[in-house]
Amino acid sequence: MRRISLRRYAGGLAVTLSVAAISLYPVYYLLQAAFDVGDQDVRPPAAYGLDNFIAIGDYTKILGNTLFVAFAATLMALVFGFATAWILNRTDVPFKRTLEQAMAVPYYVTPLLGAFAWSLLGSPESGLINQAWFGLGFTDPLIDITSPFGIAWVMALFEGAVAFVMIGAVMKSMDPSLEEASQVIGGSRLHTIFRITLPLVLPGVLGAAIYVFAEMMGSFSAALVLGTPARFYVITTAIYQLVSQYPPRIPLAAAMGVSLFGVMFLMLFFYRRMIARGSFVTVGGKAFRPRVIRMGRLRWAMFGICASYVLLAVVLPMATLAFASVQKLTVALPKWSDLTLEHYREAMDMNAVQQALGNSLMLGLATATIGGLVAFLLAWTIQRSKLPFRGALEYLVMFPQSVPRLVFAFGMMWAWLVIPLPIYGTIWILLIAYLTVFMPLGVRTITGVMVQLDKSLDECGRVCGASWAMRMRTITMPLLKPGLYATWMLIFVASVRELGASILLMGPHSKVITPSIVESWFATSSELTAAMALIQTAVIGVAIAIFTLVTRRASQHKV
Amino acid sequence: MTAPHIEVENLEISYGNVATVGPVSFKVMPGEQLTLLGPSGCGKTTTLRALAGLEQPSAGSIRIGGVTMFSDVEGIDIPAEKRGLSMVFQSYAIWPHMSVFENVAYGLRVRKRPAAEVKERVHAALDLVQMGSFADRPASALSGGQQQRVALARACAFSPTVLLFDEPLSNLDAKLRGDMRIELRELQHRLGVTSVYVTHDLEEALAMSDQVVVMRAGQIEQTASPDEIYNLPRTKFVADFVGSSNLITGRVRPELSGDGLIAIDVADGVILHATQYGRRLGDDVTLSVRTVHLRVTKLQPDAARNVWPVTIRRAVFLGDMTQLHVIWAGREVVVRCTALDGVAAGQTAWLSVDPAHCVVLEG
Repeated sequence: MRRISLRRYAGGLAVTLSVAAISLYPVYYLLQAAFDVGDQDVRPPAAYGLDNFIAIGDYTKILGNTLFVAFAATLMALVFGFATAWILNRTDVPFKRTLEQAMAVPYYVTPLLGAFAWSLLGSPESGLINQAWFGLGFTDPLIDITSPFGIAWVMALFEGAVAFVMIGAVMKSMDPSLEEASQVIGGSRLHTIFRITLPLVLPGVLGAAIYVFAEMMGSFSAALVLGTPARFYVITTAIYQLVSQYPPRIPLAAAMGVSLFGVMFLMLFFYRRMIARGSFVTVGGKAFRPRVIRMGRLRWAMFGICASYVLLAVVLPMATLAFASVQKLTVALPKWSDLTLEHYREAMDMNAVQQALGNSLMLGLATATIGGLVAFLLAWTIQRSKLPFRGALEYLVMFPQSVPRLVFAFGMMWAWLVIPLPIYGTIWILLIAYLTVFMPLGVRTITGVMVQLDKSLDECGRVCGASWAMRMRTITMPLLKPGLYATWMLIFVASVRELGASILLMGPHSKVITPSIVESWFATSSELTAAMALIQTAVIGVAIAIFTLVTRRASQHKV
Repeated sequence: MTAPHIEVENLEISYGNVATVGPVSFKVMPGEQLTLLGPSGCGKTTTLRALAGLEQPSAGSIRIGGVTMFSDVEGIDIPAEKRGLSMVFQSYAIWPHMSVFENVAYGLRVRKRPAAEVKERVHAALDLVQMGSFADRPASALSGGQQQRVALARACAFSPTVLLFDEPLSNLDAKLRGDMRIELRELQHRLGVTSVYVTHDLEEALAMSDQVVVMRAGQIEQTASPDEIYNLPRTKFVADFVGSSNLITGRVRPELSGDGLIAIDVADGVILHATQYGRRLGDDVTLSVRTVHLRVTKLQPDAARNVWPVTIRRAVFLGDMTQLHVIWAGREVVVRCTALDGVAAGQTAWLSVDPAHCVVLEG
């Protein structure tokens, strides 16, 4: 008995410690840099102190900016999220199914494309909306997308969908009989809303608010595209600036990164505590069919609210990019003769694009394949094995999720500069970074499918005499195939579009596509950038289509 | 005397530091069926899973076919896949991505049997459960009852010496459950396989077993044949759980006892004669009298003992049975009898019972 346990403990400890090393070393080097107050040319640091954190005090403007933008964006995201979640879950809005699917699209558009498009639409001088506004005879711009409100607006539009998902889940998990009970006893509709509905959903909405706020603080691309040209910095763009400028100010950037990570970590910790304690709404995690309120004529107004969100976050941005990409110089009312496909041709011919796109696709393929397999094994170990330290393992695997990717990559960069392996500046460091930062995504996706799999399907294989490897091959993997495909796809798309980690880690000979597009935005024309962004989107779309075809054929052959 | 095929000794299973089962010990002879019976949460499924190797015990030993499968003293824990047993799961655990044939063939393929043998034995197993024509169907297209049969065929196909059943009938509707009960019992006899069966259904346990182990809160309350479990329950829990029983308390009157019977004063001098069946006896005892063993008659029966005049308080028509609530010795006792003409609430009648059916309980 003791012998058996000892071997198990050793195995569990080994796995857990390896995962700990992989997910924690960047944070270790980040901390080392943050507390380094000695000679900058000496590593490891000659002296430790708090000076770098005290120095952050000189940048109160940046901290203020960060809080303001994150707060404004969270507020907007919650208002969007609550309104759309309520309309889609609780009213008889027309085309409900279509709207629900459309709500997921802004996530695929990404904040980066959203920022490009909204910059083209709303920059104070040349934005299309302002051009039209000036055309009407006004002299002051109508909107300024580069203002803090503008940045928050873009962040809310493209990263706010998570608020919709979370609040929607809360509404779905509320037992409608709780409201019916109030009405039967004689509570008026308004009374019921204020005394029953709101108190019941409030904890869930509060949880969503904390989560979204943490996400917004770590958000990078919108502030980078819209804020930096006007020297408006939030903490993530400031870190990027401090690391990439010459000479870099690594310790200060590290101190900022540690502070940001600390705050986000605390917020996510409180969020998890709230979820774990289970607000009384989500008892049992059972989903109910919420009671639908008949809105009469108003249902078309409700439809309008949801549709305008989709319009602002999907249709308008994509149309704008397409519109800009075929013009020599973007104007609101182009002449026929000004239309051109030149930008596409130029983008395709650019060495940087060809190479970067090739690298990105290779990395996406490798990350999705290796990461999907590792995520599967980790999810299986956490969910299905009896290995000791499984709880700690799960926590460690999910850890990178609470560090903004930019900060995490910064830690990795700093680590691989001293680790004596020639990986820094090559494509390998990007692969390692992607594998680490997307591991939570992979494990979460597979776990979601795995928990639905009846445990006795595997146990029956055991009793029949099948070894672990045989059960994996004949039972577990075939049954989880849809989940494995979905995981592969998610990691692939996320890798090809990655910005925060790649922008710090890519070297001159290991370019990847998204940071290259950002470089083009700052260095060349916005029309060329729009063409590049659309090419990237199209390539991802083709990849998804091919993958779907192949996997569909593969699963048809089996049956 | 042949050796037992399954021997479980002082088996204990705990989660963390909380002991959930044990210590429990029992033996199953070759070809016998033993049933673990008890309410949900009594540890019967956990015990079965420990036999299969799916649950790791914390102490004790398990020997199957003379081979030690688990022993904490010797440090042995043979993994489930090497124990060579077979099991029918409560959820059936039919693999939805395989055909019926592939499901049943799995155990044979694991053992790397030649293709011809696999084919022959899979068809034999499917014929055994009358599913021969379903071999090529996808398993996901089966009804609950069909899945149950396929699960059974899969469990038998590779001729295991031990079959474990984890509440295999609990997901079927009542009618099908009744049919399958008989079929399973016949199959078990025909194959001569040693089996351990887990259920919370009393009728299932009584109908299908050679031996019944009644469990409560991780402990064994009684191990006996179905007949003995029903007629001679050992404890209050068994009397109450196994069929409906009147539990009657009283004080032993040694001076009135005789003829191998114990006289018990149940209230104000009302004397009931009961049988001891070798049970320990205190000053106060509890008796079990099955509701079907009590008789209510209009005319006074011709018996020397255990006859009392009573008032019928309520008569409830249950279909096959009529349930009477009668006032006797200051308490209400429940009697179940076949329909009795003209019995109505408020009438007086005679209550009688054979002393052999009044069983003294322990503890």
